[in-house]
Amino acid sequence: MVAGGVTWRDRLAVVIGLATLFIVWQAATMLFAVPDYILPRPLDIAWAIVERREQIWRALLFTLAETGAGFAIGALIGIGLAVCLVLIPPCEAVVMPLAVAINAVPSVAFVPLALIWFGLGMGSKIAMAVLAIAFIVLLNALSGLKKPEQGHIDLMRSFGAGRFGILWRLRLPAAMPSIVTGLRVGLGRSTIAVIVAEMLGAYDGIGQIVYQSTAQVDYLSVWAAVLTAMLGSLALYGCLVAIDRKLIWWR
Amino acid sequence: MDSSMATPSIAADHRPAHLQLINVWKRFGPPERQTVAVRNVDLAIQPGEFVTLIGPSGCGKSTLFNMIAGLIAPDDDGSILLSNKVQQDYGLLGKVAFMPQRDLLFPWRTVIDNATLPLEIEGVSRKAARARAEALFPEFGLEGFETHYPHQLSGGMRQRVALMRTFLFERDLVLLDEPFGALDALTRSMMQRWLLDVWAKHRRTVLFITHDIDEAIFLGDKVVVMTARPGTIKCAERINLPRPRAASVTTTGEFIDIKRRLLAVVEEESLKTFGGATLA
Ligand SMILES: Nc1ncnc2c1ncn2[C@@H]1O[C@H](COP(=O)(O)OP(=O)(O)O)[C@@H](O)[C@H]1O
Ligand SMILES: [Mg+2]
Repeated sequence: MVAGGVTWRDRLAVVIGLATLFIVWQAATMLFAVPDYILPRPLDIAWAIVERREQIWRALLFTLAETGAGFAIGALIGIGLAVCLVLIPPCEAVVMPLAVAINAVPSVAFVPLALIWFGLGMGSKIAMAVLAIAFIVLLNALSGLKKPEQGHIDLMRSFGAGRFGILWRLRLPAAMPSIVTGLRVGLGRSTIAVIVAEMLGAYDGIGQIVYQSTAQVDYLSVWAAVLTAMLGSLALYGCLVAIDRKLIWWR
Repeated sequence: MDSSMATPSIAADHRPAHLQLINVWKRFGPPERQTVAVRNVDLAIQPGEFVTLIGPSGCGKSTLFNMIAGLIAPDDDGSILLSNKVQQDYGLLGKVAFMPQRDLLFPWRTVIDNATLPLEIEGVSRKAARARAEALFPEFGLEGFETHYPHQLSGGMRQRVALMRTFLFERDLVLLDEPFGALDALTRSMMQRWLLDVWAKHRRTVLFITHDIDEAIFLGDKVVVMTARPGTIKCAERINLPRPRAASVTTTGEFIDIKRRLLAVVEEESLKTFGGATLA
């Protein structure tokens, strides 16, 4: 019964969904003779991707690397901080208002600061991804770690478990569903943050292609980059769903 | 059996007690709005004895258990002795096998991993812990369910997993808080006989809370009745029904005599809980 990763039915559903979208899109743009600069045809975009494959592939890897690094660092910071706050409850009153305040501002608002502090390279994008995910993971992880009720905690205590035993064997497993929710939301946010940061200043990346192509009125390239970003996000999300099922195996 | 109301006559037993409560109190809340949950409890339990504790709901039974398990500290009035040693506040944590009122299984652990939880906490290796648990599966009627998850089990089976977990935490004193309270009558009576078998084999000292008089008499060497809140010991009665006890013992004249006497006492206390003096 234990769900072991992404099933074939899930994959099929994604493929059918995408195929339907593209067919309807292609048919509609042909039927209504929509001009290219408003909405190009998917086959033209696909051809554009193939033509520019080297440039787009390099940009995609660049963007994915930034997102992945920021995601990993931010998730670790969020979870680590949540664990510290649970082990040392008095800190919570200090840290939480700050975290909530930072989390309330859309993280893209910090892009200009990130560019000033970390430069135009990967550093600023990774910093943005960290910012976009760390707080949402912190908030979710904290609420998850505090989920176990007194009865379960008392059971652990009666077996002689201390603070760390309770953390490891009760709080962390109980927090997994919340943590995964935080990771899921955070992944979306950090992808956005990275691409926006790239548009505002970068040496490479999907966002930079979008920016430059827009400046050159090359709408096909813009669409090629956007579509690539979409497929890339989908792949990332797929990885996360697979991880999700590994982490919450008991449902 | 003559109807001598056995109250403190139990003091006839002079062996050193396994567990002894002396003037134990527990009050909750600030002094002006205080709830006295447990009041002046004196109780002694001999090694290997099966003692059932019965009393109206809300009378402080679970609170008493929480104190014996070391989860909450009793008020300073009295003391708790385990094997004749006075216990510090929270000093009993890890010394008593405590099964709370609900099964409290962890949904992310399989049956066997739930059962071995206390062993893991004690630092027993996973392999050794599993080997010890596996040996108990037939006896606990859970064979073939080792790798199931709690949500796949019936209420009776979940309760047996919780009991197995309690037994694997090998302590000489076992506290069971209404372990069969949520089960249907048929399952319950099967579980009672099964528990007596397990107890006969392992011979731990058992303190068992119930609100079912039949259950209290059927299982116990001694039935202790608590008063309505604030709870204290109202009386205790030794049950001399021969062991091993079959289900049919509940229809013998001896059993019914005991039941009639205890029922009178328990009803009196239950009515107090309802504030139903007018009914009496
Ligand atoms: N932590 C607590 N704070 C305040 N009151 C409590 C607490 N625990 C129990 N009580 C009160 O003590 C009384 C006895 O409760 P309990 O021991 O659970 O009864 P029982 O198990 O016999 O049904 C109840 O009135 C309950 O409200
Ligand atoms: Mg209770």
